[in-house]
Parts: sequence; C-alpha cells; structure tokens
Amino acid sequence: MANATQSPLPNSTWKPRIVAFFCNWCTYTAADLAGVSRMKHFSNVRIIRLMCSGRVDPQFVLEALAKGADAVLIGGCHPNDCHYVEGNYKCLRRYQMLKRMIADMGIEPERLRLEWISAAEGEKLKRVVNEMVETITKLGPLGLPQKFEQWDREMEEFANHVAARDAAAGGGCAEHGTNTQPLETAHA
Amino acid sequence: MKPIVPKKNEPVRIGFYICHCGTNIASVVDVEAVAKYAATLPNVAVSRTYKYMCSDPGQELIQQDIQESRLNRIVVAACSPLLHEHTFRKATEAGGLNPFYFQMVNIREHDSWVHTDRTEATRKAMALARAAIQRVPHHKPLEVKKVGINPNVLIVGGGIGGIHAALTLANAGKMVYLVEKEATIGGHMAKFDKTFPTLDCAMCVLSPKMAAIGSHPNIHLWTYSEVAKVDGYVGNFKVTVRRKPRYILEDLCTGCQECVNACVYKDAKFADEFNLGLGKRKPIFLPFPQAIPPVTMIDPEVCLNFKRGKNPDGSHTVSDKCKKTCVEACGDRKAIDFKQTQEIKEITVGTIIVATGFQIFDARRIPYYGYGVYPNVYNALEVERLINASGPTEGEVILRNGQVPKKVAIVHCVGSRDENTNRWCSRVCCLYSLKLAHLIKEHTHAEVYNFYIDMRTPGKGMEEFYNRIAEEGMHLIRGRVADVYPDPNDGATGRLVVQAEDTLTNKILKIPVDMVVLATGLEPHPEAESLRRMFNLSCSSEGWFLERHPKLAPVNTFTDGIFLAGCCQGPKDIPDTVAQAGAAAAEAFALIDKGHVEQEPNTAYILDDCCGCKSCIPLCPYTAISFAEDTKKAIINETLCKGCGTCVASCPSGSIVQNLFEDVEIYSEIDGVLAEGLF
Amino acid sequence: MVALLEPAVVDKATTLETLLETPAGKRMMTCIQCGTCAGTCPYGEHMEFAPRLVINMLRGGFIDEVIKSDSLLRCVACYACLAKCPRGIRLTDVLLPLVKEQVLVTRTEIPAEFQKSLENMHRYGNPMGESPRKRAAWTATAGTKIPILAEVKRTVDVLWFVECYPSFYARGQDNCRAVAKLFQALGVDFAILGNEEKCAGECGQVTWESGLFESLAEDNMKLFKKYQFRRIVTADAHAYNAFHFRYPMFGLTQPAEHTTQFFARHLDQLKPRLTRPVNRTVTYHDPCCLGRATGSYDEGRALLQAIPGVKLVEMVHNRVNSICCGGGGGGMWLDTYYKQKGMERLSERRVREAVATGADVLAVSCPYEISRFEDALKTVPHDKPMVVRDVVELLAESLA
Ligand SMILES: Cc1cc2nc3c(=O)[nH]c(=O)nc-3n(C[C@H](O)[C@H](O)[C@H](O)COP(=O)(O)OP(=O)(O)OC[C@H]3O[C@@H](n4cnc5c(N)ncnc54)[C@H](O)[C@@H]3O)c2cc1C
Ligand code: SF4
Ligand code: SF4
Ligand code: SF4
Ligand code: SF4
Ligand code: FES
Repeated sequence: MANATQSPLPNSTWKPRIVAFFCNWCTYTAADLAGVSRMKHFSNVRIIRLMCSGRVDPQFVLEALAKGADAVLIGGCHPNDCHYVEGNYKCLRRYQMLKRMIADMGIEPERLRLEWISAAEGEKLKRVVNEMVETITKLGPLGLPQKFEQWDREMEEFANHVAARDAAAGGGCAEHGTNTQPLETAHA
Repeated sequence: MKPIVPKKNEPVRIGFYICHCGTNIASVVDVEAVAKYAATLPNVAVSRTYKYMCSDPGQELIQQDIQESRLNRIVVAACSPLLHEHTFRKATEAGGLNPFYFQMVNIREHDSWVHTDRTEATRKAMALARAAIQRVPHHKPLEVKKVGINPNVLIVGGGIGGIHAALTLANAGKMVYLVEKEATIGGHMAKFDKTFPTLDCAMCVLSPKMAAIGSHPNIHLWTYSEVAKVDGYVGNFKVTVRRKPRYILEDLCTGCQECVNACVYKDAKFADEFNLGLGKRKPIFLPFPQAIPPVTMIDPEVCLNFKRGKNPDGSHTVSDKCKKTCVEACGDRKAIDFKQTQEIKEITVGTIIVATGFQIFDARRIPYYGYGVYPNVYNALEVERLINASGPTEGEVILRNGQVPKKVAIVHCVGSRDENTNRWCSRVCCLYSLKLAHLIKEHTHAEVYNFYIDMRTPGKGMEEFYNRIAEEGMHLIRGRVADVYPDPNDGATGRLVVQAEDTLTNKILKIPVDMVVLATGLEPHPEAESLRRMFNLSCSSEGWFLERHPKLAPVNTFTDGIFLAGCCQGPKDIPDTVAQAGAAAAEAFALIDKGHVEQEPNTAYILDDCCGCKSCIPLCPYTAISFAEDTKKAIINETLCKGCGTCVASCPSGSIVQNLFEDVEIYSEIDGVLAEGLF
Repeated sequence: MVALLEPAVVDKATTLETLLETPAGKRMMTCIQCGTCAGTCPYGEHMEFAPRLVINMLRGGFIDEVIKSDSLLRCVACYACLAKCPRGIRLTDVLLPLVKEQVLVTRTEIPAEFQKSLENMHRYGNPMGESPRKRAAWTATAGTKIPILAEVKRTVDVLWFVECYPSFYARGQDNCRAVAKLFQALGVDFAILGNEEKCAGECGQVTWESGLFESLAEDNMKLFKKYQFRRIVTADAHAYNAFHFRYPMFGLTQPAEHTTQFFARHLDQLKPRLTRPVNRTVTYHDPCCLGRATGSYDEGRALLQAIPGVKLVEMVHNRVNSICCGGGGGGMWLDTYYKQKGMERLSERRVREAVATGADVLAVSCPYEISRFEDALKTVPHDKPMVVRDVVELLAESLA
C-alpha cells in the first residue's frame, strides 16, 4: 500500500510502529497469557503469528522495516524448548546475521530484538514490549521508506555527477584511465 | 449444503465479522468503527459486528452470509485463534467453503484485554483486521491430514493419579505402560494413615487398586524405572524407558521376604526411605509391606556383596565378599541376581499421561522453624508415618527420644504463601493439619495447637470436617509462627517454644511444646524441568506443568496427545487428583477411540524452481527433506513434515512453500499491520 | 533466605499520606495480617500497635490512633519483621520510620536522653555532644599516621568513614586502631575525613527525623563531592546501611562496604598473615543492619574462621533469626525509658544466649554492640568469663 510509507497523520504525536513475529507455541501463547492476566502494555506492537521462530525469513524483517516499521521483535521458545526441536537456534543464527546487516545499513541495533519468551512468561512479554516501545520512542522514527527515496535520489545524483565528470575527463574506467584517484570512490 | 468452490478468476468476496465478546472486546475497542473501516477495504463484501461470534447464532450468521452473499473468504476478529480458530473454521466449512478460507484476528487477548486507551486499541484492531483482510485472498483450499493412533498409553508416575488413570484405561481394554521411578507404586497416598475429610483408612482404599495394577493383564508395570527419551508426536510416540537394576528378578521373586530374614545383617540398620529415615531396613528389603510389585530389592550402596561407591556410569561392581545367606534362603526360586544391569525398553504409544505428582517443601529453607536442627521438629509427612499403623513406630506417636508428646504445635503454611519461598497456597495443608491434629490427639491425648494464617477448607465436606475437628477442642490460633527455639527454662528435655502473635486477641504467645509439626507445602519435583523438556510441555512460572486452558482444557497440554493428572499440574487433594486422572484417561480414550488425529495442513512443499542447492536438507529436525537424484531437486515427505517452516525461511531460491504460512500471506500481513494512521 | 532489598523503593518525598500510592505502599495492601512481624518483634509484646496492626490501621484510615500511642518508640529497627514477612513488606525501613516521624512530631513528652542525642546530632554532628574538633583526636593513638583527605590532596582508593562511636568512645577507638593496623598490613590506600566528618545519620532516618537525616546526609555529601575516592569503607554497620540504601538518593555513586565485607574480600591476602593463634571459643552476633538488612551473614564468620585457634559456635538465634542488641532505631538512647516501662533490655537477652553457648568471646561487627554487650555482661550472671570483641579487633590480634 502506497500510503503506508507516508509520514504520520497531521496533529498526531509520533508513536513507534513495531512488528512482532511470534512462534505459535511459546511467545504467541505468552501474549495470550498476558491478555488473560490483563497485563496492560503499550499497543504499538503488532503481532504476526508463525508456527516457529525458525520460520522467520530475514526478508520478513527487512520487508517490515522497508514498509515503515521502526523496529522488529522476534519471539520464540527458550533454548531446548522449541516445539520443533531447534527452529529457535536457526532463528538465532539468522538474527545474528541480520544484526550485522542492519548495522551495515546504519540502523541502530536496538531496532531488532530477539527474545525467548515461554508460554508461562506473560510478565516477561509485557516487560519486553514496554521496554522496546520505550527504547524505540527514544530513538525516534526509522523512516526507512523515506530514506530509501532519499538514497535513490542521491545515487541518481551521484551517477549523474560521475557520468558528467567522466565525460569531461574523456571517459574510461579507473583501471585503464589516467585519472584514477577520484574514480576509486565510484568503484568502492 | 453445496460446497462452494471459488473459481480461478472469481472475484474475492470477504465476509468480515467482529465480536463484542459481551463487553470484553466492545468496552475497549470501538467495534462498530472497526466494522465500518473494514467495509472500506478492498474485497470486503460483508462487514458485521455481533455480540458473541462463537455462539450458535454467530456461527450461523457466517454460514448464511456465505450462501446469501456468495462469500468466499471469512475473517473473524475476536479472541485468540488458539481458542476459537477451530470453531470458525468449522462454521466456514458448514457454510460450504473450504475451512482454510478463513483467518482469525486476535483482538481480545492481544488488544482489548491489554490496552486501556480506546482510540489506540481501536486502531490496533483496525490494523490487525486489515492484515487478515489482505492475507485471506491468498488462502488456498487445503485438506486435513488424518493420521492413525497407536492404542497403547504411557502413564508416567504411579501415585494415586497414575494408578487411577491406568486402571481406567486398562479396564477399557487399552494396553497401558505404567512407569514409576520408585520401587513401588502408591505415591504419597501410600504413606498416609487416614485421609481427610472422611478419615477413612488410606491403604484400605488404595491397596486394592495397587494390587489390581500389579495383576492386570493390560498393564505393564515398570517400577524403579524412568523415561529416558520421547520422540514422535500424537498417535505415535516412541518412548525409551530405563529400568534400573534392583538385583532381584521380578518374575521369580514371590515376595516371601525369606532373603530379608536371612541377610547376614541381623538387625535393620540403614535409614529406610519409605519411612523418611524414621525407621530402619536391611540391605535387602521390601519398600513397605503392601508394596506393588511385592518384590524385594537390594541397596548396592550398603549390601556387602557389592564394592562401595558407584562406577562412573552409575553402575555398581560385585565384590562377592558376602556369604550371601540371602541367596541361600531364596533357594530354588533363584530370584537374586547381583549381576543385573539396567535394562532399556523401547515402546510405541499413541498417548501419554503425566502424573508425576509433587514433593514436599524442604523446611530447612525456613531456618527459624528449626527443622533439621531440633530433633522434635517434624515435617507433616514424617508425622503421617508415625501415625501409620504400619509405620516405623507401629502407629505410636512418639518422639525420637521415645517419649509421648503432651503438647504439640502444628504450624500451617510452611513454605506456602510466602514471597521468600513459595508463593502459592498448597491447598491441602490446612485440611491435613486438621486431620493430623485429630489423629495426634486420638493417639496421644496431647494438647494440640494449630497456628494458621487463614483456615482454607473449600470443597465438598471440608468445612463440615473443620467443624468436627474444632469441636474436638483443638487450640486454633490465628497467627503465623514467627519463631521456634529451645525452651530457655527447660533445655534438657528438648522442649521447644513456639512464638506467634494471636492476631485475634492481639497477644504474643510463647507456647512450650514437646513436638512441632510443620505443615510443609507442595512444590514441583526438581526433575519436573527435565520431564518438561522431554515431553515438550510448558510450566507455569512456579514449575507446575501448564494445562492448555485453565478452564476449558484442564488436563490437556500444549502438546497434542499428552495429558496431565494430579499434583504435577498444581496442588490438589486426592478426590481432585482422581477426578483429573479420570478426565485424562477419558481424553486419551477419546483420541484412541476416534482412531486418528487430524493434522493441521501446514506442511511445506518444494516447487519446481528448486535449484538443488541442498541447503534445506540438514535444517529439517524431522529429516523430512531428501534429495531426488533423478530430478536433482529436494523433496519433502509430507507425512514427516511437522510444519515448522524452518526450511522455507532458508531456501535461497524461495522455492519452498509452507501451507497456511506462505510468504505472500505473511508479506500481506506485514503490510496490513503497518497501515498508516493506525498507530 | 530473605529477598535482597532493593535500595530505592520509595523516594525521599514519600510521606505517610502518599505511601499507599507508591510501589512499596501497594505491597502493604497485600498484607495478609498473619502477625509474623508482631510475633518475631523483640518488643512485640510491649506494643499496643505492633507492625501488623499498624498496617491494618493505616489501610483502614485509623493511623492517627497509632501515632498517638507510644508503641513505635519501642521499635529498635532490627529488620526482623521485614525479613520474615511472607509478603516482603518494607516495614523497618519504609513504613515504620514514616509513622515514627509523625509520632515525634505530635508527641509532647519525648524521653529526655533520646531528645538530647537528637539535639546533639543537630548541633555537633554526633549524638554524644562531643566537640566536632575532637573527632580525629584518636588518630594520635593509632600508632601510625592516619592520612586525612583534606591533606592528601589526591584520589585515594578507600575513604574510611570512621563514625561517632569509634571516634569518641574508648572501646570504639580500639576498633579504629585495629582497622588502621589491618589497612596498613594490606597496604590499602586510604584516608579519613577527620574533623569534617559528621554522623552518617542512619538513626535519624530509620528512627524518626528524616529532616535531621537529610541535613546530615547533605553535609556529608558535600564532603564526598569535594574529594576523590573510589569506595567508602566503614566499621559502623549503621553507617554502612545508610550509605547502601539512602545516600544513593542524595547522589552517592561510589560503592560502600562494611569493614567485615572489605576484609573478607581481601581474605586471601590477609590469611597468610594471620599467624598468631587466638585460642578461644567465639560466638558471632549478626548486626541487624548488616545481616537481615543486606544479607551479609557470611563475611564476619569467614573472617573468624580464618583466625587460627578460633572455634566458632552459634547462638540459638543466629543469622536471619538473630536477636537485636536493642541499640538500633534510637534504642541506643532509650534504655532508661524502656526500663521505666518494665521492658527487658535486649542486650541482656542476647548476652544470655551468648553465655549459654559456653563461648569465651562474643564477637560483634557494629560499634553499638560493644558497649551494649559489655554493659549487659555486668548484669547477666555467667560462670565463665566472657569478653566482647569486634571481629576486626580479633583479626588485628592475630596479625603477627
Ligand atoms: C502430608 C500430606 C497429607 C495429605 N493428606 C491428604 C488427605 O488426607 N486427603 C487428601 O485428599 N489429600 C491429602 N494430601 C494430598 C495428596 O497427597 C495428593 O493429592 C496426592 O498424593 C496426589 O497424587 P499424585 O498421584 O498426583 O501425586 P503423588 O502422590 O506425588 O504421586 C506421584 C508419583 O509419581 C512418581 N514420579 C515422580 N516423578 C517421576 C518420574 N520422573 N518418573 C516416574 N515416576 C515419577 C512418584 O514417585 C510418585 O509415586 C496430603 C498431602 C500431604 C503432603
Ligand atoms: S548379599 Fe549379604 S548383605 Fe547383601 S543382601 Fe544378601 S545377605 Fe544381605
Ligand atoms: S517445514 Fe520444518 S518440518 Fe517441514 S520439511 Fe521444512 S524444516 Fe522439515
Ligand atoms: S508479617 Fe507481613 S503479611 Fe504478615 S502481618 Fe506483618 S506485614 Fe502483614
Ligand atoms: S524492626 Fe524490629 S523492633 Fe521494629 S517493629 Fe520490626 S521487629 Fe519490631
Ligand atoms: S516453536 Fe517456538 S521457537 Fe520453535
């Protein structure tokens, strides 16, 4: 949806948008338990149910951020407790990879969080959600869609700039040309 | 009703329903506004609110709309899918659609119950609804898989809970494996003399049931055994049981105990576990007179025919240093086997009942009650044994120094209702304390002081029981004991002073007594944690096994085919344990009787696009993926796949699809929950 | 056994009116009226309103009646009720001080001895009314140079907070000399505040006058801000308690340690030097401010057991169940009043238990206890001689 990427409604104070991927057996159930126990928490976290944290495709996380989420929370069973034996380990590995990836993109590490929350830990669920909302409120909006637009614009300008300068220098590639030094940046 | 099969190009027509849940949802979420919002979204043909969607009229509403408005997708925003997804899938199916053309939105547990701001909660409901409405057009018709059920049942724990469940199922003709870690079944109940509220003899009701277990043709009783491993799933669990060596061949031993009499140890001199160390036994012994199986065992730690100490693997080595008068006495029966080693049994069962009970609180954790320091401080279980006619004192309530106590204090709530130890109320302690007060008085004519915080006697006949005991003239003092210490005026006799505030008279009491009985609470077994892992159960934060739903599925667990009975799920008395065991047996029976289980069709399959990179193959915990050499593509065995989706998330070419959780479905949910203006 | 107490459960601004709104106050709503607090209180039988009833009166809106009574004059802030409360209610250090403060405000007659020591603390910064200029006088007898922070003009590792009893009382000074000797043996980089130091004010806080406590705490904090040091070490369990729980609210950032904790932490270094045997049977009294308040039961005992020749025996009431010496919460200056009311002196109750162990030495780790127990030994009959020693004194004695 195109409008998902627009800035917040006029007059409304900004609130973090957090997408959560919870496994069916532990963390989703913990969220149910928090409900049954009426443990009040912030409403900014939107839960998507998956059968196991192992189903969390890194692409889901990136998609959520790209679609305007300010942060992503992944919830699974504690180590050794995964309903499917070791889906959570797989998830942990992907999470570590994702952490590096988003760091490379200049995104604060706090925007991605993985928590093991068992079906009995309604209290922990509440705590994690509240902590996360507070942290992200402090960090402010991520605005990846807007950033993407801006990056696209910059890349375009840069490409134009390089093209113009290459044209002025008589063209040619860095490896063969005479004017190597400034061109290195374009190849980096 | 004619099944409606949407044609390929037929436009998607969604029916959206939002439930008030009485006021549970509607008091926080503006359901009308959500319905109005949903009506504006693409593909939504019908959008309604209803007081109780899960009620019959609610479900009929869906069926009617499917027929009349030619709906081909259904979205219901109500409670958790873990509660009612099944209900609405059924309603969808009853309306003539494939049940998987349905999606549920959780706006109660995840919304109205946890938020207070009406605007925010309503926005969240809208966003979640939108996610489902965007997702559901991608749904495909799916078919529920049916898997056969092995009719055998495993029951873990042979207390009254396990015993009752085993007999119920065995009498119904099912084959039961009953695994008990101690050398005899019976659990805690076998230690009691009388039981509240009726004060009837515990063994009189329990021993016939125990004997029936021992002789039942449909029951394999494996005592002194433990479950070592569990694989598989409902209908088809593969279980490994380890039978520890008792050095007696069960089939050959007749329970005559001639070996015990003949043992070179003339006197029993080793602490006897069944009597909590209050009595003594020999190296060869019967756990207690009515033990089932009625088979002796040898304690290799003290028997002279074994070397002292265990081998690193936990086994023991024979020293052959003893005259073995026991073997002589056993004679032709040849039941003694010093070379016995542990035995591994592998069985397949369709359902499992966990009935592993509880342990009593270790009173040493409250140092100011002096348990383990002053010999005249006892825990309740020890006193149960003292009172028991077949106990170490043959039913005489006497102190360790042989004297009969003249004044006895019973301290309620030891290790219960206390932030420093266990927070919960153990439920049976008030009642068993009243029982012990009566029995101690009956046996000794002592003056008995019960110190309680609140007298908790719920349940049928319990208040009447309290009344009866109170009439007998107990001192019932409302105040938690704050200190127990040796009487400074009377050091030599071991007399103790019990200090507490009588909160009803506002006076501090310091009562000298000869015996202190600690009504220790019930707590989960420490091994419950490893059992929990093995059976893939959940525990409450206290460590009790978690039932699937506290009201509607009290004996079910989150793992299909595994049921709970008795105190492993939480403290309870014998009547409730037995009721629960019956319920667990009925649940197991219902599954077996049906003959098959229906499996959620959330399995994965591999598309032709598979590039043959094999990265998914090692990821599957069930080895459901293999590589077809002819086509050079991976394939998933649908019967083995459990639907975790791990392989799907890993496929570099995106060629694995998980039914019910397809990528496109999740992407549309992501887009939906991030809807603008709804935060 | 006792859950570790969180330092900041109420902020400085909490009053009796606002208490039930705070998290600590909400806990009080969960009181089950079990009476453990009253039952364990060493003076419970002398209180018309013991802690249990105080809570119920507060919840029911009848707290004024409690304030009119002198019940809480009898609380010696021993932490027993708090330690055993099954609901983890903060009685000793949260509820009771707030009530006591009101008692002091509304009461017309205050026991004179008590009144005097509060005034002394105000005027002189110590309860005995000694001249603040003599606070560091003991250092002359230390047998070694005791560095003063104002003079060393650099960062020191340890700020040794000496406190009033060790500074001014002869038996307290024994303790000081022992600490100095041990510091030197360990090569500790330390300094004291000298005459600038003022009473840490713990009694002011836990007893009655939060105003008095605040002014003392602010004075001391000014000094702490002026100098550079890495930790505070004090031999006074009460001061330690104040630094641990209250001073962080006034901006103290350095960690505080009691001498027993500090020396127990350095036991590996100390042990080889403890060569002179002390062939005595010793029983150890847990100070309330160290034991029940902060869970520090093992350090004192570990130090004693490190001394060659020492045989450690326990009294009937020990560790969490220890009996107060009666000096806390202002009890130090209420002995006459308690006597008038016909109340047994707790120090005597405690000493009777010590005597019953057959020990030669009653070891303590709080300066109040020295004088209280030595006094009590004068009145409690005992066949075998018994002396009172601070754990640190015994350590110093064993040092070759
Ligand atoms: C002092 C006392 C007095 C009581 N008096 C009464 C009374 O008068 N009336 C009344 O109604 N209730 C009474 N109760 C409560 C009663 O004991 C329980 O309700 C009852 O014992 C529960 O039965 P259960 O089968 O669930 O557990 P248990 O009796 O604890 O039995 C569990 C069994 O499982 C076995 N087990 C444990 N772990 C494993 C494992 N890993 N593998 C295999 N086996 C395992 C144990 O060895 C045990 O045999 C009393 C309780 C106490 C503590
Ligand atoms: S081998 Fe000896 S000690 Fe062991 S049971 Fe037999 S007779 Fe007793
Ligand atoms: S979804 Fe899970 S169980 Fe199924 S094949 Fe993939 S990894 Fe195996
Ligand atoms: S001990 Fe705690 S719960 Fe019990 S009466 Fe006292 S304050 Fe209330
Ligand atoms: S702190 Fe000690 S003296 Fe004060 S009320 Fe509690 S138990 Fe009694
Ligand atoms: S099922 Fe919860 S993480 Fe795998």
